[in-house]
Amino acid sequence: MGLPLSYSVRNVRARLRRTALMISVIALAVIATSVFLALIASLERTLVSTGSPRNLVVLRKGSDNDGSSMLPLEAYQAIRYLGGIARGADGQPLVSPEMVLQPSVQTTGGTRENVLVRGVEPVALAVHEQVRLVAGRMFRPSSGEVVLGRGTVGRYLGAELGAEIAFGRRRWHVVGVMEAGGSSFESEIWADAREVAADSTRPFPYSGIRLTVAPGADWDTLTRRIEDDPRFALEATRELDYYAEQAESAHTLYVLLVVLAIPIGIAAGFGASNTMFAAVQSRTVEIGTLRALGFPRATILRAFVLESVVLALVGFAIGAAGTLALTAAIAEVLGGIGFGAATFTTSIVRLEVSARELAAALLFAGTIGFLGGLLPAWRAAGLRPVEALRKA
Amino acid sequence: MRFLPFVLRNLGRNKLRTALTGGAIGLAVLLVCFFLTMPGGIDALLARVTSNVRVCVHHKGGVVYQMPYAYVSRIRAIPGVVAANSQIWYGGAYEEAGHVTFPSFAIEPEHVAAVWPDYGIDPAALDRFRRFRDGAIVGRQTMQKYGWRIGQQVALTSTVWPVTLSFRIVGEIPNERAPHFWMQREYLAQALQAQGRALDIVGVVWVRVGDPTVVGAVMERAVAMFRNSPAETAAETEKSFFANFFGSLQAFVKIILVVTALVALCVLCIAANTASMAVRERSREIAVLRAIGFGRGLIFGTLVAESTILATVAGGTGALLTYAFSAMVRAVSGGWNRELGPLAGFLVTPDIVASGIGLAVVVGLVAGIAPAWGAARRPVAATLHEIF
Repeated sequence: MGLPLSYSVRNVRARLRRTALMISVIALAVIATSVFLALIASLERTLVSTGSPRNLVVLRKGSDNDGSSMLPLEAYQAIRYLGGIARGADGQPLVSPEMVLQPSVQTTGGTRENVLVRGVEPVALAVHEQVRLVAGRMFRPSSGEVVLGRGTVGRYLGAELGAEIAFGRRRWHVVGVMEAGGSSFESEIWADAREVAADSTRPFPYSGIRLTVAPGADWDTLTRRIEDDPRFALEATRELDYYAEQAESAHTLYVLLVVLAIPIGIAAGFGASNTMFAAVQSRTVEIGTLRALGFPRATILRAFVLESVVLALVGFAIGAAGTLALTAAIAEVLGGIGFGAATFTTSIVRLEVSARELAAALLFAGTIGFLGGLLPAWRAAGLRPVEALRKA
Repeated sequence: MRFLPFVLRNLGRNKLRTALTGGAIGLAVLLVCFFLTMPGGIDALLARVTSNVRVCVHHKGGVVYQMPYAYVSRIRAIPGVVAANSQIWYGGAYEEAGHVTFPSFAIEPEHVAAVWPDYGIDPAALDRFRRFRDGAIVGRQTMQKYGWRIGQQVALTSTVWPVTLSFRIVGEIPNERAPHFWMQREYLAQALQAQGRALDIVGVVWVRVGDPTVVGAVMERAVAMFRNSPAETAAETEKSFFANFFGSLQAFVKIILVVTALVALCVLCIAANTASMAVRERSREIAVLRAIGFGRGLIFGTLVAESTILATVAGGTGALLTYAFSAMVRAVSGGWNRELGPLAGFLVTPDIVASGIGLAVVVGLVAGIAPAWGAARRPVAATLHEIF
């Protein structure tokens, strides 16, 4: 014999004032954890979504990012004519020599950030398929023009189409804005490779090379030929692996998430238990009656656990709505969220909540409700009908 | 005070509820304290490691732009400057790690003691650093990370210069948070010379000023002197340099604070829930107490005290446990995170524990006031009438 679902649901509603505080606790726990989860996931998505499965990154051996690598012109010339590299519409190899710099740029908020400036040649747009212009035009060589990643617009002083932005030794005209599917290219500023190299006065003209591998070509042979050249100590990495490695540092942030979620989950679970114990206590007579009518222990247990879970799910629903509102407010007030102090560049992450994060929060709230309700429900099921009824 | 035993008895009436509430408050306060260590990490770094009389002179475009080496001696000649040291990024990758895992710089050994007297480096080590061309001074953090000992030879492949150099560790920077690896500028210069390259640039010039009152003047001079030259400079105190360096983490810190505030609100709800349950269940005896002559103030006071004592004891325990908890997280996370930098130090300070306890006291008071107020004001006759 079972109790209808509505028994558990109605009980939550009947004592709404008493359970309101408990629901808020679960809602707050859901908001706190899912905002944090969304932050880490957004950072990861930005980094993981960067790069093309067809590209190789060539850097000096040991460098783990563009900014700490330097390559001589000869290395570019040697690589350009290796076999197995895709060719563009004009028949030229899709090899993009790049000069990456991290100048400090004034933000509109009055601080400074190290921005990744990528000096490129026209071939770059063919190699980086993800990147496309959404406003204005591409820069012209040697005319002091730059194209901004979408994330930088409005973040830095002068980072507007048609305005002038100051970094390095000079001011640059902003002639275009580019988009790259939410990837970290959107945190970058692109300019003419020669101008960037001249501005930096580095002893080498390039920091690294990106190239597109021809369809069907053997990756290993190409990688070996690049790395085995004794003149330059080079290292070739698949572009996806390169950015996945950068994303790995985001993984350690999950430690923090666990550190947050477990204690807050236990705390909310304790609170849920408290409320449920109080409910069992105040309904002792009712439980005794149900048992006397012939409802078995398992039914009582199930009904109370269900009640606790329903309570938690209401908390989740409110919490999920709160999370969406809060992240939207944060994204509005703070704009992009900067990451990456030690890498010398700033990845600008847009805080977004995806279905995956909400699903995780749902599971989280459900677990709190289930575990928090288990003990009180056990006590309810254990009540002896005679003693329970005697209280009346 | 006379009624303290009464309050404590009341707390002991429903031991399970008291334990659950206490546990929940304790855990939540622990979390608040733990998250407060993150923004605290930047402040602590700025306050402890940096100095206001040390000035950083670098290219106006940022530290990744270089200045001519000749600037160093010109900066050294500015009145008020006690000492200056040039620094150039070596970007050394230790073989075992395969990539850059700690910052390595080429500097001038003869000016270390005068520029960084606060680092407390053994003078004998600095003497060896001057004498041995291949000598290196390494921060304790890196020494411990790789189990290096003084006297050991290590080879670092530069990721910016086309060289791999072998070093002899001659001393350490006695600070567990110091990751630096310092080598002789001359050693790098000679290695480059062998390839026909001259090392005539410098990345950053660290300047120590004798008198704090002339710091501003020295910085102005260090900028004015190179105005309209091909490499214009910018100067700032060490503190401002690092504050800017970590500036991009500000938004992340704000989100951490928002999450912390949510957790604090959570504590409040848990405490308020328990307080209101306690009052509701005891409405009968409260009415009896009132009927036999105990005043409203007393009823109100004992109920608020009950909630406050519970929150304070539980919250205080949670706040103190933050020490053990953060040590555990440090052990698990390895203590260093590239994305978080100084945020991941998780060092608990007495200030943080104090604010955790403060939060608990306030939560206990606030949570207790509303139900206690209601209970104290409730007409006695009405309650008794309801029950009997």
